[in-house]
Formats: sequence, C-alpha cells, structure tokens
Amino acid sequence: MNHRPFEDWLLAEEPLTSEQKADLQAHLRTCPSCMALAEVNVALRVTKPVAPTPGFNTRFQSRLAARRSAQRRRNFWGIFILVASAVGLLLWLTLPYLFWAFQSPMEVFITWITTLSFIFTSLLAYGKAGSVILRVASDFIPAYIWVAVFALTGLFGLLWVASIRKFANLTEGA
Amino acid sequence: MTEEMDWIIQSQQGNDEAFAQLVAVYQTPLYNLCYRMLGEPEAAEDAAQESFLRAYQNILRYDRQRSFATWLLSIAAHYCIDRLRRRRFTSISIDDDDEEHPMELPDQSALNPEAEAARREEQEQLHKVLRSLDATDRAAIVLRYWYDFSEVEIAESLSLTVSAVKSRLHRARRELAKRWQEEQPRTHLERSPHESPAF
Repeated sequence: MNHRPFEDWLLAEEPLTSEQKADLQAHLRTCPSCMALAEVNVALRVTKPVAPTPGFNTRFQSRLAARRSAQRRRNFWGIFILVASAVGLLLWLTLPYLFWAFQSPMEVFITWITTLSFIFTSLLAYGKAGSVILRVASDFIPAYIWVAVFALTGLFGLLWVASIRKFANLTEGA
Repeated sequence: MTEEMDWIIQSQQGNDEAFAQLVAVYQTPLYNLCYRMLGEPEAAEDAAQESFLRAYQNILRYDRQRSFATWLLSIAAHYCIDRLRRRRFTSISIDDDDEEHPMELPDQSALNPEAEAARREEQEQLHKVLRSLDATDRAAIVLRYWYDFSEVEIAESLSLTVSAVKSRLHRARRELAKRWQEEQPRTHLERSPHESPAF
C-alpha cells in the first residue's frame, strides 16, 4: 500500500478498524512525514488551554473605565468645539448688527416692525392671489386632474413614510 | 433560560456586573485563543481585553439565536487575524525564545516530572510550529482543536465557506507536520494507539 491512503486517514481523523490501525502503525515506522502528521494530531489534541494571569477581570474593568473616561473626554471636547464654533460663527455674522443695535436701538426697533409688517402683508397678498388662481383654475382644469394630483401627493406621502420606517428599522438592526 | 443567557440579557440592558460574569466565564477560552494566535502572553492579554471590550460595545448586536461562545471567539479570532496581518507589515519578531510563558492549566494526567517535562516540551514545540501558519489557517486550527468547533462553526466564525475551511485545515495540518518534522527530525512516536484520536 502506498503513502497516500495513510495520509488521508490521518487527515480525515475518522475511526479506523483494527486492521487499518495495524497497517497504519506499520506504515508510521517507515514514513517520517506520516509520523509527523500523527504526532501533530496527538499534540493538537492533548495540549491544554492556557489561562491568563490572575486578576484578568479586574484589569478588564479598569480598562473599560479608562475607555469610558476617554470617550467622555472626547465627547466633551467634540461638543465644546462644535458649540464654540457655532457661537463664533454666529457672533461673526451678527456682530455688525449687534453693534448697530447698541448704537441706535430705536432705529433697529422700527426696522424690525417694518420688516414684520412687510412679511405679514406679503403673506396676505400671496394668500389672496392663490385663492384667485384656484378659483379661476377650477373653472378650466377638469376634476380628474385634481383627483390625480391629490392621489399622487398621497402616494408620495406614503412612500416617504415607508422609506423613513424602513431606514429606522435598518438602523436598529445594524 | 440559562444563567448565561440571563447575564447576556442583563448586559444588553446595561448591567456591567452581568458582563463581568461573562468575562469571568470566558476569560480562559478567549485568552487561550489569543495566545495560540499571537504567540506572546502580553499580546494575548491585550488582545483578549480588547476583544472583550469590542464584545461589550457590540453586545446589542449579539443575536441570541447563535452561540455566545462562537460569537465571542469569532470577535477575538478576527481581531487576532487583523493584528497578525498588521504585524507582518511592521515586521515585529514573535520568535523570542526567552519570553515569559503564561500560566498553563494543570494536567491531571501528569504522573511524573519526566512525563510532565516531555509534555511541556512537546507543547512548546507545537506552539512554535503553530506560528509558521498563515493567520486564518492558524485561527481555523485553534478553533478546531482547542474549542472542538465544527467546520460549519469555523466557517461562520471566520466568514469562510465550509469547503474553504476543510481545505485550510488540511493544508495547515500538512504544514504543521512539515515544520514539526523539521524541528525534531529524529522524534519517534512512543504512544499507545488509543492515545491518538487519529487512529
């Protein structure tokens, strides 16, 4: 019998008959590579697991605490830099207006009131214009177009809600 | 519900003491895997600690239908494989002969000091030849022989196909045998057949 079947037996690690065992023993005496394979098989099976030095769990708890502390520090500095940048940007953008407001508060007050009244009157004008357009449009746009427009709007709304829900589920499951 | 599952659920709810119980139970298997993979006690300690940290951070992602041991060892195996690959680029030697060896669990079957010394020598030799394997092959061997993982479990843990695991195991054992032979060319197997699971 040649070398190959013995090597296959050793690699397969399946139970052998007593006759096969005897053949294998005889082969091992003459074949160094099969002998090495058999020795490795034995060594792999008998080698015991190694344990860490005592206090592993305590060292893990310290490491966890250190990692958390570092994470907290990173979060604090991250938020601090973000807030500081936002405040800095806001100040940079509003500083001329603030300076102006401190110089002449009454003028600022009048400007604000004028702007607000302008926005209010503009909104009223847009509302009136919109109602006139709708009244006129309802006379020459057929009813089925209106139905289609409302149906499409509803469909897009549903799609939007469904996609938001799916995205939320994916995030939870990740 | 098992005690372990109870600890897992409590850990998922943010109970650190429950996670500490899991660390206590799995510290030796996880450390042993890292030691067999990395070959150095310090690196193994660091890798085991890091693997537990990763498990802690990702405990919510653990699927309770799977085995916790498989999930945990898979984290450690992937971590060690990455570390070995990085190590290959940084060319750090792991062949220091004067390294300190970690605490081995006592062998109850050791009858006399000579047999114990021979066993230790053999284990050191195995440890040495194990280092010659590619990182993924080494992980497959460790999971197969120290944890009795099936080929399917190894495939799951290492993100491989079952056929890839089979071929890696065969190749790795051939490689180990070759190195073993090189290390100790005149060694003879002096065991009774019943000691070997191979025949």
